[in-house]
Amino acid sequence: MDGVLRMVSLDRPIPRISTPPMVAASPSEQARDLPLLRVDSISKRYADQTILSDVVFDIQAGEILGIIGPNGAGKTTLLEAVAGMQPVDNGHVRWHGKPLPPSRRREAVFYLPDGVRPYGEQPVTRVLTFFADVYRRSTSEVEDAIESVGLSSVLHKRVHALSKGYSRRLILALGLLTPHPLLLMDEPFDGFDLRQIRAIVDVLGREAIKGRTLVLAIHQLSDAERVCDRFVLLADGRVRGAGTLSDLRAKTGIADGSLEDIFLALT
Amino acid sequence: MRSPETFHVQSAPLRPLFVKELWETLSGRALWIMLLLMCPLVGYSFFQAVSLYGEASAAGLQSPVLASTLSPLDGILVPTLGAFYVAVTLLFPFVAIRVLGQEKESGALRLLVQLPYRSPTLITAKLAAVLTAWLLASIPALTALVMWELLGGHLSAPETLNLVCGHLLYGLLVGAIALFAASVSESAATAAIVTLAFTIGSWVLDFTVAGQPGLLAWIASLSLTQVLHAFEQGLLPAGLVAGVCAVVFGFAALAAVWLPPGVRLRNKVIRSIVCVFAVALALGLVTQIRLTFDVTEDRRNSFPIADQHLLATLPQPLVVTVHLAPEDPRYTDLQRNVLAKLERTMPMVSVRLAGERQSLATNAGSDRYGEVEYAYGGRSDVSRSTSPREILPMLYGLAGVSTPAPAPGSDYPGYPLVAGSQSALFWFFFGLPLCIALAWWWSRRLPKPTAT
Repeated sequence: MDGVLRMVSLDRPIPRISTPPMVAASPSEQARDLPLLRVDSISKRYADQTILSDVVFDIQAGEILGIIGPNGAGKTTLLEAVAGMQPVDNGHVRWHGKPLPPSRRREAVFYLPDGVRPYGEQPVTRVLTFFADVYRRSTSEVEDAIESVGLSSVLHKRVHALSKGYSRRLILALGLLTPHPLLLMDEPFDGFDLRQIRAIVDVLGREAIKGRTLVLAIHQLSDAERVCDRFVLLADGRVRGAGTLSDLRAKTGIADGSLEDIFLALT
Repeated sequence: MRSPETFHVQSAPLRPLFVKELWETLSGRALWIMLLLMCPLVGYSFFQAVSLYGEASAAGLQSPVLASTLSPLDGILVPTLGAFYVAVTLLFPFVAIRVLGQEKESGALRLLVQLPYRSPTLITAKLAAVLTAWLLASIPALTALVMWELLGGHLSAPETLNLVCGHLLYGLLVGAIALFAASVSESAATAAIVTLAFTIGSWVLDFTVAGQPGLLAWIASLSLTQVLHAFEQGLLPAGLVAGVCAVVFGFAALAAVWLPPGVRLRNKVIRSIVCVFAVALALGLVTQIRLTFDVTEDRRNSFPIADQHLLATLPQPLVVTVHLAPEDPRYTDLQRNVLAKLERTMPMVSVRLAGERQSLATNAGSDRYGEVEYAYGGRSDVSRSTSPREILPMLYGLAGVSTPAPAPGSDYPGYPLVAGSQSALFWFFFGLPLCIALAWWWSRRLPKPTAT
């Protein structure tokens, strides 16, 4: 059958919304203490250049994880590798402890790339309708997505006529329409001013509260500090540190340090 | 906002995918520009064809014998659709490439491949979009046929449908190649170069090596334009149709193999090799299909009906040994007038060229050069004729049957017509372009905001 969105056949199917452990994780899951997704020793080279080197980190259900690093750190490659859109030289991705092959990642993960203006000749409303129809979203769900990212005023504009900020809102709205428990977003705040960033942070926070897990690749440390529960600090394709801000402060010994201070200390 | 229950679907609907492809096809400038360019191209060809047909008809109206040689298939359909073929060869690749290339360049493909559709489904939807674009592109040619009817011209439905079917297969072939090129190329420009290498390369093959013997003849047979030749002669060859379908399927499968971005190059190459072998196997099988229908009204590709019926009943194998070089015009005549018709009619016919690597220059002096030996049921005879009027009675003699009486009323009357086609020029240079421009404008209208 075409278009099968099979559940990942591990010991249990991928839930549409992965329940945050602190809310309703089953006792057996708590006992196993498995992360929602584990990135296990991923490495990637282009010719003689190492893009990712032995990258390891976990993603817990319901959290907002920030992949933090400067331009060229390998954030986009890492997200694409996790989404199964980049072949890797080494490493695996595990879903609840079981291997999740690249061909089946799209059953669990949806990736929102940076710098994409999908279907530029079409009006925004038609692009949203396409995604909504694919995932059988109701009218009210579509309206909620439009409302939450503030797309109402440009619904009848062509996508290529959108500003960078509205273009990002469209991508975010498409992400909100997808049902995947894990959403990967590349530079979700690019093109937004401070007020808009706050509004988008609220949207992402609400998604996380609903139980969705978000991974954001961000190069602006202040933005990351504002929204993320945990961080993976990436530089030159290597993980330089991972944990909550408190964990990282403890690791670096900078008691009141900002994420920027910690990043500079670790890289 | 979310309702977790709604995700418990086992399949994604196909309709949104096809609707999206339709909108994307209609919103591309390339399609509409191609349509506008086709209007004068097809229109002028039609105008010229009607004029030349009218000149020939003027004499034909005085003589029934001359009239019987006037067929709209040769006079109107082939030249008019020939202009359409030129446009499909040169312009249609850009339209077909856009179906996939636009999404690739805008990055939308990275979203599309994550949707719950398999790569073959995505490529099938894109092939449907290519088919839609071809149907739209055929509008100028189809209006020319309607105009011919309005002028009082005659169209034979089987001939017309058969020729349109041939052009459809050619269009699908070009479209599938374009999709494959767009799938493997990083940019639309590269994809265009790859596709035009196929289409224009076919022209080069036709002009340079067609009619040559041996390996060159085999190379010439790879030309895409060979697809159309049989249909232009009024033949519907089942093997060719199946072969083209297999190749279209093969290119579509290759496009699907190269579409997903997360697959290793080595895996893509291995899958591609499997595809190529599968298509080669399919082509090997379909070449065994010798079923061909003569759909012409004048039955130019068949013997007279009485002969057809009698030949079809001859049970033994006929072996024909030809002492002619393949490039000899007599061999071409013999092939077209006799051998091809025999192969389509009799159950078992085998034709072989006597001597390896026979050529006109080396064998023309030989005593046996020019002879054609027919062996049937343990008896054989030799002829140098290329006319069925001489060869068929000889075959009947070999088979020991008497020559059948000709069936009455089977003569083709011909359809001479002298008609002015100035109105056609007006339609193709002004009327149709205006309609197309209006349709383009309609397709680009933005939906009106709904009052809240």
